[in-house]
Amino acid sequence: MNAPLAVEAVGLERNYSSGHATVAALAGVTLGIQRGEFVAVMGPSGSGKSTLLNIVAGLERPTGGTIRVDGEDLATLNEEALARHRSKRVGMVFQAFNLLPRFRVVENVALPLAFSGVPTAERLQRARAMLDRLGMTARADHRSNELSGGELQRAAIARALIGDPAILLADEPTGNLDSANGAALLALFEELHTQGQTVLLVTHDAQIASHAGRTIRMRDGRVVDE
Amino acid sequence: MRPGDLLAMSLGNYGRARLRSGLTTAGVAIGTALVVLLIALATGAEDNVRRSIFSIGDLRLVTVQPFQPGANGLSAVPRTITDDTVAKLKGVAHVDGVYRQFDAPLGMVVEGGDDATIRPQGIEPGAPIDRGDLLAGRHLEAGDRAVAVIPGNIARLVAPNVGAAIGKTVTMRVYSVKIVGVFDEQASQTSFRIPIDDALLAGAENRGLTPDGIRETTGYSGLAVEADDSINVADIVKAVQELGFSSFSLKQVVEQIDQGFGVFKGILAGIGGVALLVAAIGIANTMVMSVLERTREIGIMKAVGASPRDIRALFLAEAAYVGVFGGILGLALGLAGGQIIDRVIRQLNPRTNPAAIFVVGPDLALGALALALGVALLAGFLPARRAMRMSALSALRYE
Repeated sequence: MNAPLAVEAVGLERNYSSGHATVAALAGVTLGIQRGEFVAVMGPSGSGKSTLLNIVAGLERPTGGTIRVDGEDLATLNEEALARHRSKRVGMVFQAFNLLPRFRVVENVALPLAFSGVPTAERLQRARAMLDRLGMTARADHRSNELSGGELQRAAIARALIGDPAILLADEPTGNLDSANGAALLALFEELHTQGQTVLLVTHDAQIASHAGRTIRMRDGRVVDE
Repeated sequence: MRPGDLLAMSLGNYGRARLRSGLTTAGVAIGTALVVLLIALATGAEDNVRRSIFSIGDLRLVTVQPFQPGANGLSAVPRTITDDTVAKLKGVAHVDGVYRQFDAPLGMVVEGGDDATIRPQGIEPGAPIDRGDLLAGRHLEAGDRAVAVIPGNIARLVAPNVGAAIGKTVTMRVYSVKIVGVFDEQASQTSFRIPIDDALLAGAENRGLTPDGIRETTGYSGLAVEADDSINVADIVKAVQELGFSSFSLKQVVEQIDQGFGVFKGILAGIGGVALLVAAIGIANTMVMSVLERTREIGIMKAVGASPRDIRALFLAEAAYVGVFGGILGLALGLAGGQIIDRVIRQLNPRTNPAAIFVVGPDLALGALALALGVALLAGFLPARRAMRMSALSALRYE
């Protein structure tokens, strides 16, 4: 038996009801992502690509179909278990960085480990090691308002990787970066991929998607092209 | 999440909005201080009253009175206390001793040029009334006749000082008695303690009876029944009532006073509690603001793996800090306030009773801290639950 897929979605649906109208953000998505793959999900805004990513991240629950991440059926998890899923199985990178401004960079990176019960000294040590790996050693003790956009996103990636996730999720990670920083970030994703990290990246930009090994195109909540 | 991390992180949150946290904490402190002050005042008053009662006598004593409570509780029906009564009471469980008393119908002492109205009490040696309060001489002993133990104020009329009064003779109407002891007049300024046989004899001669006759017809003036322990007093009181006599015991008075003070304290605590309630509303308001202000942070924490329980615990711990700091501050304020008020009262009225006006025992101190913490946790509960139930995704989108 092969190792489970990193992501396996079958007939995935997500409906939003606003008033009387029901909007289908995902209208039956079936896809599989192998371990070690670098996959880009591309589509215009409203195509459901972010919803797909949020469901994989365990931030949102589907209204139909099944989703397995690293072999785990997310539908069977309660809120507490879903929180553990977010801290252990996936690492999430956002367009808006979402670092906590009152913490130092190293503390931000270490934060997910705090929620999984790793002692302070150990998690700070691991956070520094991760920042070293991403070339952020000099910035470890700064606060987030002292960092450039590119550095913020590197710190966010360090935080996403700190729990050694099965899959790294990124939602328009270069959206708030200039082209030079964006390119450097994509190079980082490629580098992580060559080191064996599974990456799922969501973007509306074909240029960015071209860095991935495989591109999944979405429109109106459906996969239109692989 | 580890408890240490949780406490450290929420302490950081508490310290971040310093002014707001400080004001909320001050509210709790004032409420706690008020509760502490009011209960300390009531405790001080209760201690004072209890001390006065304990100085009156022994809690193990039940006094049997020569009458029966009337059916409607107002009129008393006379009853004769005889040797039969004494024998029956001696047989009651937990009774350590029964001491007879006969008040002699003698009135005056004429000595040293002054008249004093006195009340000669015929008692048995070792009677509870005649214990441990001597200024000079000795208590009554078995076999004593024509002697008396007298109060200090009268001894000083008889002789220049209480010591010199020992051995002197005083005359009660026609009976001369030798002073063998002087007791502290705090117990009574008018009673003479004399052997019960002398008192019975005087009573008998007054009525033209024999001592045995007076024992049967008039009966004793009262009995002092001593329990082996004050907790058994209620049983003895019941036995006395079953024999058809009225009884009195300090223990019952103390119990009634305790009950009264319990109500009094409850009312005062309630008044202080209103202040704490206002503080609780303040905490709830602060926490709601805190949750709202940190919506995005809650979203981020949830996105990186904080469980709903972690989030709830973080906010509850923050509320707990308000309670603990407010409680400690309030306790200190209450203690200091009590000291200051105490001093001011004594300045204004130097003749104030020397006993402490405010009494804060360890139970009140710990109770006040626990109350402040409890109120804070209750007030923080709903905001914390709100934070816990917040959707991570919508919290992340919150601006």
